[in-house]
Amino acid sequence: MVYAGSAARGPSSRVEAYVGALLTELSLRADALDALFGARPPLETVYIGGGTPTLLPSASIAAVLSLVRTRFGIAPGAEVTIESNPGPDERGSAAALVAAGVNRLSLGVQAVDPELLRRLGRRHSADDVAAAVGEARAAGIRSVSVDVLYDAPSQSVAAWGETLDASLALGVDHVSAYALTLDDPDLEGLTGPLGDHLPTRAGARRWRSAAVLEQSEDRAAEQYLLAVSRLAAAGFRGYEISNWGKPGHESRHNLVYWQRRPYEAVGPGAHAFDGVTRRWNAARLEGYLRALGGPAPSLVLPPGGSEVVDGADAAAERVILALRLDTGLPLAEAAAPGSPLEPHLAWALDAGLLEVAADRVRLTTRGRLLSNELFSRLV
Amino acid sequence: MTIPQSRVRNCSIIAHIDHGKSTLADRLLELTHTIEGRQMMSQVLDSMDLEREKGITIKARAVHLEYKANDGETYALNLIDTPGHVDFSYEVSRSLQACDGAILVVDAAQGIEAQTLANVHLALKEGLEIIPVINKIDLPSAQPEVVMEELENVLAIPREEVILASAKEGTGVPEILEAIVARIPPPKGSPDAPLRALVFDSHYDPYKGVICYIRLAEGTLHDHDVIRLMASGAETELLEVGVFRPQLVPLETLRAGDVGYVATGLKNVREAQVGDTVTTVANPASEPLPGYQEAKSLVFAGLYPLSGPDYPLLRDALEKLHLNDASVTYEPESSVALGFGFRCGFLGLLHMEIVQERLEREFNLDLIASAPSVEYRVQLTMNRGWVTVDNPAKFPDVGDIETIEEPWVHLGVVTPDRYIGSMMELTTNRRGSFTNLEYLDPQRVHMHFELPLAELIVDYYDQLKSRTQGYASMEYEESGYRAANLVKLDVMVAGEPIDALSLIVHRERAQTTGRQLTEKLKELIPRQMFEVPVQAAIGSHVVARETIRAMRKNVLAKCYGGDISRKRKLLEKQKEGKQRMKRVGSVEIPQEAFLAILRMGDE
Repeated sequence: MVYAGSAARGPSSRVEAYVGALLTELSLRADALDALFGARPPLETVYIGGGTPTLLPSASIAAVLSLVRTRFGIAPGAEVTIESNPGPDERGSAAALVAAGVNRLSLGVQAVDPELLRRLGRRHSADDVAAAVGEARAAGIRSVSVDVLYDAPSQSVAAWGETLDASLALGVDHVSAYALTLDDPDLEGLTGPLGDHLPTRAGARRWRSAAVLEQSEDRAAEQYLLAVSRLAAAGFRGYEISNWGKPGHESRHNLVYWQRRPYEAVGPGAHAFDGVTRRWNAARLEGYLRALGGPAPSLVLPPGGSEVVDGADAAAERVILALRLDTGLPLAEAAAPGSPLEPHLAWALDAGLLEVAADRVRLTTRGRLLSNELFSRLV
Repeated sequence: MTIPQSRVRNCSIIAHIDHGKSTLADRLLELTHTIEGRQMMSQVLDSMDLEREKGITIKARAVHLEYKANDGETYALNLIDTPGHVDFSYEVSRSLQACDGAILVVDAAQGIEAQTLANVHLALKEGLEIIPVINKIDLPSAQPEVVMEELENVLAIPREEVILASAKEGTGVPEILEAIVARIPPPKGSPDAPLRALVFDSHYDPYKGVICYIRLAEGTLHDHDVIRLMASGAETELLEVGVFRPQLVPLETLRAGDVGYVATGLKNVREAQVGDTVTTVANPASEPLPGYQEAKSLVFAGLYPLSGPDYPLLRDALEKLHLNDASVTYEPESSVALGFGFRCGFLGLLHMEIVQERLEREFNLDLIASAPSVEYRVQLTMNRGWVTVDNPAKFPDVGDIETIEEPWVHLGVVTPDRYIGSMMELTTNRRGSFTNLEYLDPQRVHMHFELPLAELIVDYYDQLKSRTQGYASMEYEESGYRAANLVKLDVMVAGEPIDALSLIVHRERAQTTGRQLTEKLKELIPRQMFEVPVQAAIGSHVVARETIRAMRKNVLAKCYGGDISRKRKLLEKQKEGKQRMKRVGSVEIPQEAFLAILRMGDE
């Protein structure tokens, strides 16, 4: 995982410094893993995302992937994804990305309705989306995914349907549908000097407090149900609460998170997990550059934090993440004494949140919409 | 250093809420060097966090001052600060019994308020010498002349006796000290007689056991005396004897006329109740002091632990709190909806709120209160006599009721005369009737009403304040029972009757109340995973119905590598929120919903 945050935007001197720091961190992380484990299996997936990494010069992306290949190894057939926006000045050159090793594209489409795109502060149009998908296909990108947004301010169910239809008409392989979430990282205490989020700017805060009044729980539920039926009809499998893919196009990288397998990460605000400890880099770019931008002997890992997740927390997390997937978890495991789910199983089945299919327990569609009602009982 | 009885003065400070009692007490402490400036914390005598936060005195506090008067002699002054809110007249009357005089504080801008009148009447009943003080004369809006006029006209207090003061700036405070010495008589009672000391307050200390606040009427008390509490019969060797400065300062002896404390070491709160008389085992008195009338509870409500296993903790907490606040009554009860809890009696609604908050804070409990009620008298059919009912859930069946009587109060309201119409409307809308009014000064009136207590306890005070921009004040006293055409209104949530929400209402207003209540509950109960009907019914006849629509969506849309811990914490928050609710049947009901009846006036 290479996390760009907002660092890819900015004056070219700062972008250069950022890419330099990123390469340095990759080396330091690889050194640390070498010291611990020696020889390692190559990476199964690589994800360049967070913000709009395609704003970086193609050469920088190639340099990052090249260093990843040298120091970590990239397995044959590995999934290499980059996040991008559809705007002509944002999406970079698909051919150059393929040349650098990218084989999956995740496009931040959000909507096709010009009014809503403007409201969301997006610079692209529906035509740009079509052009971006076309270029990706022409360059030989194997898998194209789009991010689309529901429960947006004043967004009608019909407008949402149009966004879904437009995406399907372009022949994409994967859809991530997210409800607009207007949370407050400041309130959650995530934006301190060592936090993984940047403080919310006053303008953004105003935007959120206005937008939240134009959201609707009932409308959002209708929109979600529309996505479930329309995407299923188009041959997509809803393999996770917010993710649908054609067979063979599920995001292998994101499955790593839900299956609670380890991952390395670099970049400001990036999160890594080794099976027990979650580690994150602080989101603020200045601290990141200060640690990694100096002369060679003074280089240190960037500031951040970590948290050990074990015992009951780890067990609850494992169940919650497994239940986000349509594969759920084996009934025998869910019903075993000591399982976090066991005390709530009968209730959740009875309330229509869970169902049993082929000896596995999984969320129903109703259960997906109300999943926190179950999950909050598990933590 | 011994100060003879002739130079002891015991006095209270009485006032309407916010007229500056606690600030005056602070100045007196400073001026007598009881507390040095650097230790001075604003409102020293309000020692509960809750008191400082709310800016009101809840508990009477005693303090011992030593004052070198202009005559060159040193006097011992025992000063008792008293609560000013209408709910706490009982605390005031108790404190006054330990005194020989009272400082009456009146705000120079506000003038006489309802509670001023009530407190003065209490003091006069005890035969106390009154030192009138007009406080806050530094305020630009101060009108000391007008207030002096009021005192003269309404309370027959001659203007020559009035001291003009600003406790905030310290003006007039030396004069108050001199007046205490000159005007308040020294206590009577022989130090050689057998000991009789009145317990006027108490608190529990984990190390020293029950600490009794006492006023010695007669006799002398030494540290390590073996004492007997005459009503409970408990005997104990004292751990400590002393005075309040305002922290406890041990002394060797206390004598007739003194106000101080004894640390009894007793662990059982029932053995040393407020109102009991302390004597010595060695030389016992034959008769106890008159003691106190028991506090009369006017408002009743069930208090229940949010989680059932906390029930024994709640019982212990109530027992300890009762020692600090004898005016709370409690007895076990159970509710179908809420499980095991206690039926508690309170002096008023503010008192109820304070007790609940103290139990939650000081004893770390999460509580649910049921809707407050008054005590009804019900005559049963077939000459089966009368029963009293303070819990609507326990109301007899309609078929068993011959007649119902409810308590009424005389209500006094002091208000600027431009609000006369508004006050009349408020009170008559609540089944009250106007008796008469008198002018305190050309702009302000003292209005008298008769009103069912049940109508008073449901947000009357809030309405009075909001309709008069906060200018009106009120006090009330019971005026007996009257027959009433009342019915019991039951509430069902998802088809389950919630006994803790049952109400007694006037028949003619049952439907309106039912409608308002179900609307409010719809607003207060969050959407559940299924549709929840909320109904109000008289017997089996449904008079109002609302539906809480089913929750449609509660899902975390995104959950990737950087989100997992964060989302877990959000889920933990949701869980805590749920734990603050009471599960009744399959519905989770927040605490506020049980007090919906108090909030029906809110928009």
